[in-house]
Amino acid sequence: MPLINFAAREINYKIVYYGCGLCGKTTNIQYIHRKVNPSARGKLVSIATEEERTLYFDFLPLSLGTVKGMNTRFHLYTVPGQSHYNASRKLVLQGVDGVVFVADSQISRLDENVESYLNLWDNLLDQSDDLSRLPTVLQLNKRDLTDIFSVADLTELLNHTSSLVVEACALTGVGVFETLKLICKQVIARTAQA
Amino acid sequence: MGTRKALVFSNRQMRRVDEILVRLREASGSRFIALVSTSGQPITSSSVDASPDALSLASLAASSFAATQQLAEILAEREFTLLFHEGRDSNLHVSPVTERVLLVLTFGRETQLGKVRLYTNRAVEALAPIFADAERDEEDLAIDREYSAKADQAIEDLFADAE
Repeated sequence: MPLINFAAREINYKIVYYGCGLCGKTTNIQYIHRKVNPSARGKLVSIATEEERTLYFDFLPLSLGTVKGMNTRFHLYTVPGQSHYNASRKLVLQGVDGVVFVADSQISRLDENVESYLNLWDNLLDQSDDLSRLPTVLQLNKRDLTDIFSVADLTELLNHTSSLVVEACALTGVGVFETLKLICKQVIARTAQA
Repeated sequence: MGTRKALVFSNRQMRRVDEILVRLREASGSRFIALVSTSGQPITSSSVDASPDALSLASLAASSFAATQQLAEILAEREFTLLFHEGRDSNLHVSPVTERVLLVLTFGRETQLGKVRLYTNRAVEALAPIFADAERDEEDLAIDREYSAKADQAIEDLFADAE
């Protein structure tokens, strides 16, 4: 649910990067923070453990500037991927407008990917939401590695909503902005239709 | 799906809200007051001097408050009605206005917690009915296909340089 303030002429959208531990959610956000025009971004907030694993979330606000008189912002969040942090993931999902599901393409991470994908469905259902009705992009990360699943296999396993699919290597930035562009356009198109 | 509804604030609502916040800030002796959504987005604020980073503050305050609600559930408490952090020079006070709106205050040694609580409770009583009306005005039409097309172009422009 976007927040629309006509007095301040502002619209804020919330986009959440979801996926299993070490799939590259934080790497996506860090790359965006490094590369985007500094005047368009706010502070990157990370609540992480000493080992730099996400404990609660990362948060990065991006400003699109004024669009038809409305100052438009995207608030990017990640969730903690490790399975025992589910309570935190539920909190971050509150009020979400769009989801980027980041999949780790490595064959060895199959179980973690599927578990995280099912967990996303469950947590959205708990808040009376539905992934099939939410703007979603599936990012297949770590395409530069060997021993990875094919795009077709991962799509069959992790894309039950016919979402757009992007191949990525978040470490080097491949596919990071393509993913961001697609999800931003989808959440905006959804508001315009509402 | 009920939760997919946008949180929309009209000019009329925000004028009333801003008046209440300024009065609350003056009466309570607070330094900074903000309304934020429970999903972590800033709505409006009133400040004595330079405002803190409102975007980060909204995100962190909403997250902390959501976490305390979960703690309450684990402790079989119906709800914790507020979140309070006491610092050396400044304090943070977060309380719910409605299910989707939180009131955040910061204040220092120049006032007392009791005073802040008293005036905050009164302000919440005045604010809640304003947000209870799901008002939309004619400006709602600003979010249309033209907006969507212009936003798409702005997205292309913003991220083109970064790739």
